[in-house]
Amino acid sequence: MINPIKISPKEMINAYLLFFVIHSMQIGVGIHGFQRIVYQDARHDAWISVLLAGLATHIVAFCMIKTLEVYGSNDLYGIQQDVYGKWIGNFLNAIYILYCFVAFFAVLRNYIEVIQAWIFPGISTWFLSITLLLIVIYAFTGGLRVMVGVSFFSVVFALWILPIIIFPIKYGTVESLFPMLEANISSLLKGAHSMTFTIIGFEILNVIYPYIKDKKNASKYTHLALLATTFVYVSLMLVSISYYSEGNLLKTIWATLTLFSFISFPFIERFEFVAVVFWMLIILPNLCLYLWAAYRGTTRLVKVSGTKFVWIFSLFIFIGTLLVQTRIQINTINNQLGKMAFYIVFVYPIFLYMMTILKKKLTSQKEQKDEEL
Amino acid sequence: MKNFRFFLILLFLPSMLVGCVETNILDKLGLVTLVGYDVGTEEKMATTSAIREVNPEFQSNVEVITTENETSKGNRMKTNRKLSKKVVVGQMRVILFGEELAKDDIQHYIDAHLENESVSNSVYLAVVEGEMTELLEYEYKNIDDIGQHIYRLLEQNIKQENMISATLHETGHDLYTAGEDIFMPIIKKEEEVVELSGIALFKNSKMVSKIPPEDTFYVKLIAERFKTGTFETILQKEDIPDNLMKNTPNEIPIAFDTIHSKRELKLVNPNTPEFDLKVKIKSRITEIYPDVNLGDPKTVAILQKAISKNLSREISRVIAYSQSVDSDIFAFGEKFRSSVRGSNLTKEKWHELYKDMKVNVEVDFVILRSGVFE
Repeated sequence: MINPIKISPKEMINAYLLFFVIHSMQIGVGIHGFQRIVYQDARHDAWISVLLAGLATHIVAFCMIKTLEVYGSNDLYGIQQDVYGKWIGNFLNAIYILYCFVAFFAVLRNYIEVIQAWIFPGISTWFLSITLLLIVIYAFTGGLRVMVGVSFFSVVFALWILPIIIFPIKYGTVESLFPMLEANISSLLKGAHSMTFTIIGFEILNVIYPYIKDKKNASKYTHLALLATTFVYVSLMLVSISYYSEGNLLKTIWATLTLFSFISFPFIERFEFVAVVFWMLIILPNLCLYLWAAYRGTTRLVKVSGTKFVWIFSLFIFIGTLLVQTRIQINTINNQLGKMAFYIVFVYPIFLYMMTILKKKLTSQKEQKDEEL
Repeated sequence: MKNFRFFLILLFLPSMLVGCVETNILDKLGLVTLVGYDVGTEEKMATTSAIREVNPEFQSNVEVITTENETSKGNRMKTNRKLSKKVVVGQMRVILFGEELAKDDIQHYIDAHLENESVSNSVYLAVVEGEMTELLEYEYKNIDDIGQHIYRLLEQNIKQENMISATLHETGHDLYTAGEDIFMPIIKKEEEVVELSGIALFKNSKMVSKIPPEDTFYVKLIAERFKTGTFETILQKEDIPDNLMKNTPNEIPIAFDTIHSKRELKLVNPNTPEFDLKVKIKSRITEIYPDVNLGDPKTVAILQKAISKNLSREISRVIAYSQSVDSDIFAFGEKFRSSVRGSNLTKEKWHELYKDMKVNVEVDFVILRSGVFE
């Protein structure tokens, strides 16, 4: 067992904060329009697909925690170096860093697209991306505890949004949900697979784990967070299915935002404008923590200071936002990220878990043999 | 600390750019409150819009402008060329369709508005009977702002449940549901007033027929969109049993307030298809002529039966009529789809089945009380 991370207690966070970190990481830009993508495959049983995807996150998170527990105080990067050796391990680490980069980019670009489509069609991409990047850099230089604080506030301040979906229920029809389970298993699973882009984010556990003070509680709060996320997604899906009709939902790009557009208060005519602007707070932890996860990995590969890394990273992201301009390009990136994330987040942790167990068995056998000799 | 100050300054710098975003100042805007589409005489689309211009110094005035072009956005540009203020659609409340256009196809118009992010999904849709320009451009004696007036007219009647509701969301929803057709209120100019003159029935996105406004009650009752409201019916001779009173008249007009109503719809035979429709109404009699003794329990029971019979006949009549024009505004098809596994219902498929659909209507009418004077 090499490279355990030693962290002073001052830098550590309490396990209950993991609930906020994971929940806020999972909810981001995907929530705006996941309904349509899942609905394409599973039709009016789409909520079952969402439920299945939620179940999958529990299983994967279970494997992740088990893997991490074997090493005590180490992150994914250290574990990979230990399991596969220096070269293959570092290669896989590089892939994971790239994944964090792409995920960061997708969140940022999608959010900018939403602002441009809903509120300011004329505002330029570079302006929004610089503004957002500056806030993220600011949070990043504050350290992990600041970023965890951001996630905490992002969840607490966004609590009022969920009850808002009660308004559209008035226009919903329960009949849209029936007959239940009409879709076959393969289309249900396909729908669940399409949830990948929306439901990822909990893989931050791999990196943040060594920073948790009371590690034995980590599992409890992780599963609670996943449960909360699944609840949010399933309830949104149920409301959307009953509120929209079949063809309607397939044509609505950001079903959640359109759901809000029906709501109007005497003091604010179009509620979705508030929602779109408010969403910055919700995507902020996504951006901060993906950036931080990429940084943690990079320090394992090369020696680089935090400030230097964050400016280089932001520069690349900024150039990226300039290159990706059209909706079609953004959708391609989302699809590719979804595909990539399915293997990195859902398939790979289970494989890694088996590898660590194998490795542990082999080492202990070897140690026994050494002792016998 | 030095770092902190650096970022603080950097963060405040972008806020200076706030003024660079396109601004919308109320004095410089023309707010479209109502837009009416019709078939153009020369080009594809004729658009008439009521535009409210807010003026801080004088009373705000309303302009009604008609243009013709190939697309609705093109029409907006043409309207812009006739105004000193920028035309915006964020405050739009009503979209009207000319009858001729509605009979042709309105799918494109609904799609275009659903797509436009600055149009709220709660705008009301309606069909105009007669000339669109005449309705909107006429200088009414008592109406200052025609856009606002039509909006209030629709809103008030829909809230009071005197008229069916067709908002952009509801219409978009029903248009894309396999087992359902859309409907809209009809608006008509009668001399100096604008009135609601009926309900337009659509098959897919084409208007096929209309029914009088008196039938709104039945339509809402069948489609389960009715909660409470006032209604009037006329008991015919065949409904009235002989033992109700002496010298039974030919007709008994009767008005009641519905306190509570409930609809139950069940698919009993998916092959025909055949439905059981049960309607329960609890109500308060407000007017009856000639006077019937409502203090006598026997008479009340007879009256309840007579009204039930009358209502179920009327409901059957409305259903049969909409079947004859092939327009399922009651969403029987949606019930069919949700009850039959693997039906893969499409609009065409349902319209085939809808013609031969059977509905067994059963009305349970309960008189809770009459007024305070017997």
